[in-house]
Amino acid sequence: MFGRLLWKMLRSNRGRLAVALVAVISGATVISALLDLQFDIERKLTQEFRALGPNIVVSAKSGGQVVTPGATVASNSADLLTESVIEHTLEAHRTPEVVASAPFLFVVARVAGTPVVAAGTWLDQLAKLNPTWRIQGDWIASRDDADQCLVGRKAAQQLGAVRDARIGLDYLGRHAQLRVAGVIDSGGEEDNQIFMNLPAAWNLTGEQPYISLWQLSVSGTSASIGDYAAQLGAALPGYDVRPIRAVTQAEGSLLDRTRLLIASMVVLILVLTALCVLATMMALAMERRKNVGLMKALGGSIARIMSLFLAEVGVLGAVGGLIGCAAGVALARWMGERVFNASIAPRWEVFPLTIVLMIVVALAGALPLRLLGKVKPAVILRGE
Amino acid sequence: MAPLVQIDNLRKEFGNVRALDGVSFNVDSGEWIAIMGPSGSGKTTLINILGGLDTPTSGCAIVDGTDVARLDEGGLTRFRAEKIGFIFQQFHLVPYLTALENVMLAQYFHSTTDEREARTELERVGLGDRLDHLPGELSGGEQQRVAVARALINHPKLLLADEPTGNLDEANEKLVLQLMSELHNEGHTILMVTHAPEIGALADRRIDLAHGRLAQVKASV
Repeated sequence: MFGRLLWKMLRSNRGRLAVALVAVISGATVISALLDLQFDIERKLTQEFRALGPNIVVSAKSGGQVVTPGATVASNSADLLTESVIEHTLEAHRTPEVVASAPFLFVVARVAGTPVVAAGTWLDQLAKLNPTWRIQGDWIASRDDADQCLVGRKAAQQLGAVRDARIGLDYLGRHAQLRVAGVIDSGGEEDNQIFMNLPAAWNLTGEQPYISLWQLSVSGTSASIGDYAAQLGAALPGYDVRPIRAVTQAEGSLLDRTRLLIASMVVLILVLTALCVLATMMALAMERRKNVGLMKALGGSIARIMSLFLAEVGVLGAVGGLIGCAAGVALARWMGERVFNASIAPRWEVFPLTIVLMIVVALAGALPLRLLGKVKPAVILRGE
Repeated sequence: MAPLVQIDNLRKEFGNVRALDGVSFNVDSGEWIAIMGPSGSGKTTLINILGGLDTPTSGCAIVDGTDVARLDEGGLTRFRAEKIGFIFQQFHLVPYLTALENVMLAQYFHSTTDEREARTELERVGLGDRLDHLPGELSGGEQQRVAVARALINHPKLLLADEPTGNLDEANEKLVLQLMSELHNEGHTILMVTHAPEIGALADRRIDLAHGRLAQVKASV
């Protein structure tokens, strides 16, 4: 009988309840979209910040250095990184995900007598390590290719190097001929450099297998990146492991502010939705005084009568929440594409959370129904 | 055998207005009592107190051994559900429930619903073909008969009818009064408020109120 009464009540007041339902659906739509955004924002912002380049740098205690002509690579070679140390460390520390990493050996070589910084690295990692870099030509897919190089935009202009041209590098009497596979536009100091694979750099310097520093792009929050840097520091006690603070702190700060903004908006929308439901329920409570008086006269306890009305409001919240969740998925996608230029994936935990929030809000908005508890059946049935 | 209803020195005041002023009388089980008097004489107040819809200012009103004056809100609710059947002048049916559901509503508040029993009760008052009609689709007489079925469904000790024919045309009035007579013959105890002497004459006894006081009690001829 409870369900039967509930159904009849919902049907009989569908006009008024529709107003409250629209308010609940609207609230649920925005809230579920914001919650989707809230849950996904970390991942999205992390992706965005990964585009800024590496966020951890590992170097020898003496610091990453450029090997100048005539200088030895290091006074104490035991302090310098090697490729095998990097590979071993990467193998041992897989969490969080290392999006890209590359070692660097910097030397100052000469091209037709002009000094230029040449960097030996893993060219296959360069594009992933620096997603904002642009190239005219082709990235180099193999880290063993010792015949090709990439040249920074300004260096290419200075040296007159174009794609497919061959350039000759000289270093302390040693010489290397490399084909220019592409010209890089980094927007930074890298535009003045020439990038080649490590074997080519070692051939040029004759100083293998050492490298100057190791850059990593690690996914995760600023905290998890800091933790990962600490892990690496513990695993590599002879080296400096530094998270790039400017990137990680900006990410953390932006995340916190975005979360606060979203939480504030969710609270505001919940309050507005409750107020709208409240206005509807106030009118409904006045309309129902006579029926409640009758129910009381028939021996209905206030608990039993109110359970009917609260169930009605609960259904309103649940249905509104459910429809709003579905609409929220579409809104979240739209917002994701507009704001982050990427779709926001719906999070299933948002559905029950939004529905529960809407039920609570609807029940809070049903406070005027408490007035029905004070209805005196004798007064109501007299028609007063 | 103790009377079903014992009223002793019952008073009810609304501010400075004295609606009932020391009313005392008894009603035996199975009696049909007509309560009569002009408007404002306290008839409805008396019915409301006996039905647990209102509480007296002083005095006692005992129905089936329960002093209504001593019950709290919860006790009055159970009292109404278990011992009283109401029939109102305005019918007071829930407009969005069918005739059957209006009867089942009283069952629901009493204990559990039994659709077959509710159906039987409606068939008894001649509404077997109107079970699924909404009150708005029924005539006044039919609505009042639904109210009678609703009042009877929980087998109450006392039927309280407040001018049950006041809103009915002559034909429907006859139908409802015939129904009341049948209920009386079956042994139901009925207290009925009415203005009409010819209706009052159908009862076993007639209690006249005037200005909240008992004016006269006399047996019908």
